[in-house]
Amino acid sequence: MATPGQLMFTRGLGPTARLLIWLLAGLACVALDTRYHALDGLRSGFSLLLQPAREFLRAPVDVATELGGFFTRHRLLQKERDALLAERAELAIRLNTANELARENAELRSLIELQTRPGHQTVHAALLYQGHNWFAQRITLDQGAGAGLRSGLPVLDAAGLVGQLTRVFPGSSEVTLVSSPEQLTPVFIERTGQRGLAAGSGRGRMELRFMPTQTDLREGDRLLTSGIDRVYPAGIPVARVTRVSRSQSSPYLRVDCEPLAGLDRSRAVLVMVAEPQVTTQ
Amino acid sequence: MKRTDQSPVSWRRILGTLAFAVLLEQMPWSGVALLVRPDFVLVGVLFWALHQPARIGFGAAFFFGLLADFQDGAVFGQHAIAYVVGVYLVLFLRLRLMQFDAMRQAVQLFPILLTVQLTVLLIGWLAVNPPGGLAILVPVAGSTVLWYLVAVFAQQWHGRGLQERA
Repeated sequence: MATPGQLMFTRGLGPTARLLIWLLAGLACVALDTRYHALDGLRSGFSLLLQPAREFLRAPVDVATELGGFFTRHRLLQKERDALLAERAELAIRLNTANELARENAELRSLIELQTRPGHQTVHAALLYQGHNWFAQRITLDQGAGAGLRSGLPVLDAAGLVGQLTRVFPGSSEVTLVSSPEQLTPVFIERTGQRGLAAGSGRGRMELRFMPTQTDLREGDRLLTSGIDRVYPAGIPVARVTRVSRSQSSPYLRVDCEPLAGLDRSRAVLVMVAEPQVTTQ
Repeated sequence: MKRTDQSPVSWRRILGTLAFAVLLEQMPWSGVALLVRPDFVLVGVLFWALHQPARIGFGAAFFFGLLADFQDGAVFGQHAIAYVVGVYLVLFLRLRLMQFDAMRQAVQLFPILLTVQLTVLLIGWLAVNPPGGLAILVPVAGSTVLWYLVAVFAQQWHGRGLQERA
């Protein structure tokens, strides 16, 4: 008979009995968390406990990145500056047009007495921690409820939509990435305007679901948020179509997409905090 | 028997190594490093469960498992159950493991670490959704290597034990 604990005159329960008790406790935790979301307090506790450690340990990595950047070649910087200057000139022209359009739009809206779109306020946040992405793809940001964040807000980076805040702790928050399985994003195809539903398919990729086979879709089409869910503002770039294939067995196209945002690269992101609806008059 | 059985190891050292393991996991790992990152906390817990079973056992494993669940944003209980299973297996094979040198220990630990990871996989599958690929099994190799290094270090540090008897 094996005596795993090897404590010869042990009193109390044997290892197998203790294993069973702890297994039951574990299963209770799983049930409480998935069915009743009863353990959010514990999550907040861990968050408070580990936040200082994470911020402290982020520093050396940041310093290393800074040092690496210091040795970037001069020529590279010059090239980048030239490109930026060209881009700035182009943007200035576009900005003038946009200002003109915005003014005109405001006038027209006031003419038809539409409520103006609520403005958006943004909160800058930085990547604090990234866990394993085995079952859901999440990252932790260094801003939380203290900065006015709440669950459900959209998170963006310079290139596109990163994801949605799903858990908010006092000083940090968790983002579920758009590529996470079961994360749905209502989108429209930029070229044709057709609406659809993009879902994460894990491993940093997405798919466009339920597009009938005759849909006009090409590789390279961009998908933007459609805004019909009232979660994401309309027009945020989400993904680019990388492959469209037809299958004999399914009435729908199989559309693979690649998220535009740097899901595993971006270290600085923006959280859009919608201002509360202003009641006019 | 090994020295660790007779001379009491201070609580400070046990908790210190475990806290160090937790801190290591809080570093901003990403990319390939995150993929192959050994589970420092699991290795720490199993190491002390092997050498100090009266102090580090199921309760500690459960607690650190909950911590791992928080880190990955996973369901609470997923890693907790897996770590508890790991501790049970280590206790079950304890006599045999204590005889081995570092290399054999690591080889023997591999199936245990694999079982722990498969348990994580199974519970995630049942409770959340199907996993995206088998990348979940990659850290097992990292953890096994880590165990080997830790075991070599422990045996060098304590000097006596296996080398004398062999």
